[in-house]
This record gives sequence, structure tokens and C-alpha cells, in this order.
Amino acid sequence: MTVAAGIGYALVALGPSLSLFISVISKKPFLILTLLSSTLVWLISLIILSGIWRAFLPLNSTTWWPFAILIFTSVAFQEGLRLLFWKVYKILEDILDAFADRVSKPRLYLTDKMQIALAGGLGHGVAHAVFFCLSLLTPAFGPATYFVDRCSQIPFFLVSAIIALAFATVHTFSMVIAFNGYAEGNKVDQVFVPSVHLAAGMMTLINFAYGGCVIGIPLLFLMAILTLLHCGRMVWRRLTENQRQGNS
Amino acid sequence: MAIRIFFLILLFNFRFRSSLSGQTNSMESVPDLQKSMYMAVDGYPCVRLANLSGEIGCSNPGRDKVVAPIIKYKNNIELAQPSAILLSMDDVQGFFSRISNDSSFARNVGGVLVESGIEIQHKLKGFSPAQKFPQAEFAPYLNKTYEWNPIGSGIMWKSYNFPVFLLSESSTSALQEIAMKNEKAEKAYTTNVAEFDVVMQTTKVGTHDSESCLTEETCLPLGGYSVWSAVPPINNSSSNQSKPIILTVASMDAASFFRDKSLGADSPISGVISLLAAVDALSHVDGLDELNKQLVFLVFTGESWGYLGSRRFLLELDQQSYAVHGLNSTVIQLVMEIGSTGKGLNQGNKNFFAHTKVSSGANEAFDALKLAQESLKSEGVTVSNASSSNPGIPPSSLMAFLRKNSSTSGIVLEDFDTVFANKFYHSHLDDSANINSSSIVAAASLVARTLYVLASDKKDLTSSALRAINVNASLVEELINCMLKCNPGLSCELVSSYIASINTCPSHYVGVVLGEPSSTPSPNQVDDVSRFVWNFLADRTSTPKSTTSVCSEDCGKNGGLCIRAELDGKGVCVISTTRYVPAYSTRLKFDSGTWKVLPPNSSDPMGMLDPVWTESNWNTIGLRVYTIQDAAYDRLVLLGGITVTVFAYLAIVLTRAYITKALKQD
Repeated sequence: MTVAAGIGYALVALGPSLSLFISVISKKPFLILTLLSSTLVWLISLIILSGIWRAFLPLNSTTWWPFAILIFTSVAFQEGLRLLFWKVYKILEDILDAFADRVSKPRLYLTDKMQIALAGGLGHGVAHAVFFCLSLLTPAFGPATYFVDRCSQIPFFLVSAIIALAFATVHTFSMVIAFNGYAEGNKVDQVFVPSVHLAAGMMTLINFAYGGCVIGIPLLFLMAILTLLHCGRMVWRRLTENQRQGNS
Repeated sequence: MAIRIFFLILLFNFRFRSSLSGQTNSMESVPDLQKSMYMAVDGYPCVRLANLSGEIGCSNPGRDKVVAPIIKYKNNIELAQPSAILLSMDDVQGFFSRISNDSSFARNVGGVLVESGIEIQHKLKGFSPAQKFPQAEFAPYLNKTYEWNPIGSGIMWKSYNFPVFLLSESSTSALQEIAMKNEKAEKAYTTNVAEFDVVMQTTKVGTHDSESCLTEETCLPLGGYSVWSAVPPINNSSSNQSKPIILTVASMDAASFFRDKSLGADSPISGVISLLAAVDALSHVDGLDELNKQLVFLVFTGESWGYLGSRRFLLELDQQSYAVHGLNSTVIQLVMEIGSTGKGLNQGNKNFFAHTKVSSGANEAFDALKLAQESLKSEGVTVSNASSSNPGIPPSSLMAFLRKNSSTSGIVLEDFDTVFANKFYHSHLDDSANINSSSIVAAASLVARTLYVLASDKKDLTSSALRAINVNASLVEELINCMLKCNPGLSCELVSSYIASINTCPSHYVGVVLGEPSSTPSPNQVDDVSRFVWNFLADRTSTPKSTTSVCSEDCGKNGGLCIRAELDGKGVCVISTTRYVPAYSTRLKFDSGTWKVLPPNSSDPMGMLDPVWTESNWNTIGLRVYTIQDAAYDRLVLLGGITVTVFAYLAIVLTRAYITKALKQD
């Protein structure tokens, strides 16, 4: 592989996130701040998890259930952190609304709140992609390529870039769904986000089998598309509801 | 829908539980990943050497590494692009002749990997990259076309503009697998390539002969340090050095196509082992002081590259330098050379041949050999005169002595008569499997007893005294294990009791002269084998002292030497005459930090014929193997990434426009 391939892999993993950043997030400084803080929160969660799991490493790679437990506890921890993130956001929202009232400016619109959620989700997704794909990409800029035994059809770097893309999508849009779910008290949305995260995580275990990545990766993308569609439907519903409320 | 997903997951659970097997190599960091992508191959390179008129050997054609796909060589193979050829030993001959004949084929050779293995060695009848008459230009007779080495192909004396590596045994099987994978070409867009890094400084700077490269300091001259030792030690205080000298000579350097795999078991290390064993046998004899003649043992290096050791020794004798203090060239009565002695075993008998130029001194020596043979009759040792159809003596250090002074009496003891018995002369396959230790023991016994006969008065000679001189066969075995095998190699007990060796696997390539040549070199200027020979000879030829003292400053004052100095402890002070003699071309002079080539001088006829060999400097030499993707695939990935990014951007812009439009409508 060469510099061209290296850049290609980086773009596959982070290109859509970059596009989202340029078109939506970069316009508003508050969203950039939200993105950065959510990236930091996600990385801190990883540090804490790795600190706890350090005692059990290295895991025996011939059996899959230690990895299942690892994924389960990590997802549970991160979902708990998401709830915390929501609580902090709520406090912040109240502060911003109070400030808006004081200076006689309008309060946060629904679209603003959704954009903040989007920025939070994007922060999670970018952190995942950087940590799990970009950090491994340095050898991809050299002349050699690499194939893992258990996934010998696709180069390793391409597999990791594609998986990072799927997860970035899942993280970005599930934050929007989650914030909406907590705000409305919608139980379906509240359960949907952790289950999709857990399912996506568990699906990566399919890659353990020989040739499993050919099945696992399309399934992962199915999860990502599912998240995207659900988010789209929810956003459309909320906005049209809001519109009707505003008019009536 | 949820139930369907649930069943799908359950199905896959069962599938992959059964297919989980095999260990993945555990990688814990990105550097681990990098390491597993590139497989480092251990091999022995062929490097670039230069002489006064040109170059020989191999190197990368420029400053960059050579990257080429690995292909197994078959007869009449056609190459479409520069490739790394995997060659088996049977095909080496055919390959190199094709290189010299077919230039379009040679253009597509990016690099060569030569296989090695025990089975290959047994199958091969003979292989010698040397010439048919090695160093014929130095012969003291007219017939320079006589074929002493008829198997010789001469391939190591040509110049190649591609790198050549000899693979180790483990690497051979790995690379054979990889070549097969390339042939099957399962994935159309990947190839397994070998990356050669044999960039030589002479190629980078453009100095393609010895004189220019020595001036530009891109190369160093070949050479080392010869060792001589006197039995008994020469007393400095006695001014009259009238005892005639009998010189026993052997050489300790070998050559091969691959610089670091020059073992030279039969030619010439078997001779050195015989010499060391003979010294050991004689050291147990009483009354060496009362002998009529002075025995001097001399081990040269650099003989394969223009008789550097012997020529330099003769020059230093003329100049009466410190290195040869105590020796007077006018009293040298006889030069007895021990050539290759490892292949004399023939159906239980050990047969040797004495090659000589007819003279009275030689006749006397031959008579002494016959006497020694008589005493060894029970062991089946025979020595005969070499055939008179030979044009003269075989390639040996004696040629240098005879060219200097044609009246020198000399005799060369070899295990062959008309042609070399060694079918692997100057190749990496001349290893311990090519020799027989009992043949070396027989030669050592012959030499030790002959020297005793020659050195003592006829009337004092008793057959019982002769039979008391016995060579230690286990010492010979140990020397073979130390000097000709990798295990235990130079870390064996015998060697490590004298020196702290740098390498374990012995290599007898002469190497280059490091720093300024001097008669008292520092240990890091002298290679392991020379240091071992010096220490061994000093130890065995030392006069036994009642007390062995630890080395101190006054050790050197009374003719003492400090041996075992590199080990823990200060070393042991012994009384012995053992010295290093620099071995390098008589056409070179080390002057204020650089080497200068002296003009040819008619008083040095051999110097006029000397090619003046030098070896190029280099930064690193390496060989790696890895998988690459086609450039088209790389570009496809880049295009894919850009497409995904642009597509996402458009989708977001469209969505945003749609939402704002739809909200505004309502």
C-alpha cells in the first residue's frame, strides 16, 4: 500500500464525519465545543474501562465468550455515561434558556437541540474511528499490505476502516435518538439505542470465525442503516409535530 | 422482525463456535503489527569488491532498495518484469551462464535468492565458483592454463548489478512457500515481493576501481593479521642467530561467493588445524632447546586474495621490521607448507602428496617425510611425491616464496595429486561435512614427526623419540567443532578460554584492514580466528614456568607475552615468541589516515601482478519479504474514500435543504 491507499482508508472511516462537521457543526462554535467534550468523555470512558479490564488481559483469542463479556460491560458502561451526558446537557440547556430569557432572545429551538445531540453523537463516532482505525493506519502508508488469516479476502486496513464507518454512523445518530427519547420519555427510543449499540458490538464477534467478516460487516451496516432510518423517522415526526404545535 | 434477527444471530452463533480454532499471533501494539507485515529474512549477501581494473561481486544497481516479486527459477523461464529469482543449487550454473549470454533475461533479474539445505548438499557432486587455476598469475612456472580446479566456474570473479543472497535453511522453506503462493496467484491484486537493501557506497559515489575508491574513502583494502610463533621461543639476548630456520606455513583465510559463509573446511582450514595440532604435539617433547634448528610456525591470512599474508611477510623480512624481529631471511633453510589435509582418507588409508620444486633441501625434506611415514605405518599413513606431469606446485603460499627467491627449498603437503580433491573449493559448501578428522590427525602426525626429524641431529634420532610424538585426536575434533561449525562455534570451551569472541558462527573471510596496520594491533583490529591462533600458539610454545604469573607492566620486559588478556582477570604472562604480522597488499601504504596505491615497482614483481582487492563500504544490508497491492487497487481505495466523503456531503446538504423547505412550507 502507499500514501494513496492510506488516505483512502482514512477517508472511508472518517469522510462522512468530516462532511457532517464541515456542513453542520463548523457553523456554530457551541457545536464544536460539544463535539470536543463528547470526544473527551468517550475517551475517558475507554481509559476507565481499560483500567478495570487490565487485570484480565491478555484474553485468550481461541474462545469468544471473554470478548462477549468485555463488549457487554463496555457497552453498559458507555450507555450509563450517555445518561450522565444527558443529565449534564439538561442542566446546560436550563442555563442557556435562562440566559436567553435574560437577554430577551429566543430559547433553544428543537432543531438546535437536535444539532447539539448530533454534535455529541459525532464526537463519540469520531473518537471511535480515530481510536480503533486511525491509530492502526500508520503501517498502511508503507509499501506492504496485511491480511488477517480469518478474513483473508479483504485487506485488514479496509476491514477496520469499514467497521469504523459503520460505528461512527451508529454513534452519531443514536445520540439524537437517545436525547429525544429522554426528553419525550419515549421508552422505545430509550431501549432502542443501547440494544443497537450492544447488537453492533456483538456482531463484531462474528469476525472471529474464518471468513466471518464477509457476513459480519454487512450485518453491521444493516445496524447502521437501521439507526439512520429510525433517526430520520423520529426527526421527521418531531419536526412536523412541532410545526403543527407552533401553528395551532 | 426482531424474532428473525434473533434466529439469524443464533444460527451464526452455532456456526462460529464450531469453526473457532487455531491461534492468531497476538499483537499488542502498532509496532507489532508493523513487524508482522514485514518478514525479515536472514541470508548471507554477496558484496561488491574492486580491484585496480574494475569490480566483481554484487550490489544494488543504484541508491534505492530493489523491490521485486519472487519467482522460482525453472529452465527456459521467461521474465516479464524485474523479478527476484529463487534459485536452487542445481540451477546456479545454468542461471549464471544464462545471465552472461542472454542480456534481455539479465535485464529482468532484480535480485537472486539461493536456496540452501542439507539435502541439496548431499545431492550436489561439486560446486566451485572459483577459477580453474586460482591465482594463476602468481605461479612461478609458465603453464598458467593447467586446471587444478576443473569444476571451477569462475562466477564469483564476475561483476553483477543485482543483489544475490544465500538463504539460511529456515528461510529457504518459507520463501519456497511464498514463491508457490505467487505462482498460484489466488488474489489477483496482491503479490509477494522481496526487498533487497544491498546499496554499496562505491555504487553511490561512482568509484568503480580500487584506486579511486580508496582515494574517496568509499572502500577499504582486504587484509588482516598473520601470526607466527617460534618453537622454542627465540632468546633475544643471544646475538648470534645462526640456527637455521625451518618454516612451517599454513593459511587461515577462505573465500566464497557469499562473504559471511566462507568456511573453507578443506581448503585451507584443515591445514591450519593440522599445524595447530602438530604444535601441540611438539610442545610435549622434551629437549626442544637442544635441537639444531629453529622451528617457526606461520599462519597467513589473505592468501586467497593475492597472497597478501605471504607477500607482506617477505617484505617485512626484508625491512627487518619489529613484527619479524628475531627472524633472518638468509637462514631460512626450508619452507614446509601444509595445504589441504582433510580429504586424504581413502578406504582406511590416509594418503598425502608432497608437491615440490626439485632441490636438495626439498629432497632432504622428502626423506624426513618418509621417515615419519615409516613410524606411522601402523596407521596407514602414506606420503608420495606428486606426479611429474604436474606443471609445478599447486596454488599455495610457497608460490610467493619462490617468486621472491627461486632457490628457496619448499615442499607443499596436500591431500591431492593432480587436481584438487576438494569438489567445493572456495564455496559455501566446503564445510565440516567435506572433511575427515582422521585425515587431519594423520597429516598433523606426519608434519610433527617430520619436523622433529629435520630439526634434530641424525645420530640423536631414536625411533622411540619419534613415536613419542603423538597428535591429540580430541584436540583436532575440538578445533573442527570450534572453527568449522556454528554449534558450538567460536563460543566453544577451547576458544572461549583464550578470547572473547564477537561471533559464534566462524567465517574465514579475510575481511578488511581496520585502522592503521601495525605489528602490535589492538584486539578490535584483529579478527576472532587470528586472535585465537595467536593465543593458542603463544600458550603451546611457551616455556613452562614454575609459576604462572598474572599480567603486569613488566611482562613484556623479559620477552614475555600476555595471553588470555580478554577474559575476566588480567591474563597470564608467559615467555613465548608469538607475533602478529600485518597482511595487506605490498602495493598499498597507509598514509595520514587514508590508503594510497603505490606505483608498480620492478623490485616487487608480484606487486606488479597484484590486483589490489578492496571491499566497498556499506550502510546496512538487509532482505525483507512482504505482500503488496497493485497500484490500481490503491487508487481504487482512494477513489472510494473520496466518493464516500462527497456522497455523504451531498446527502447532508440535500437533507438540510429538504427539511428547511418542508418546514417553511407548513
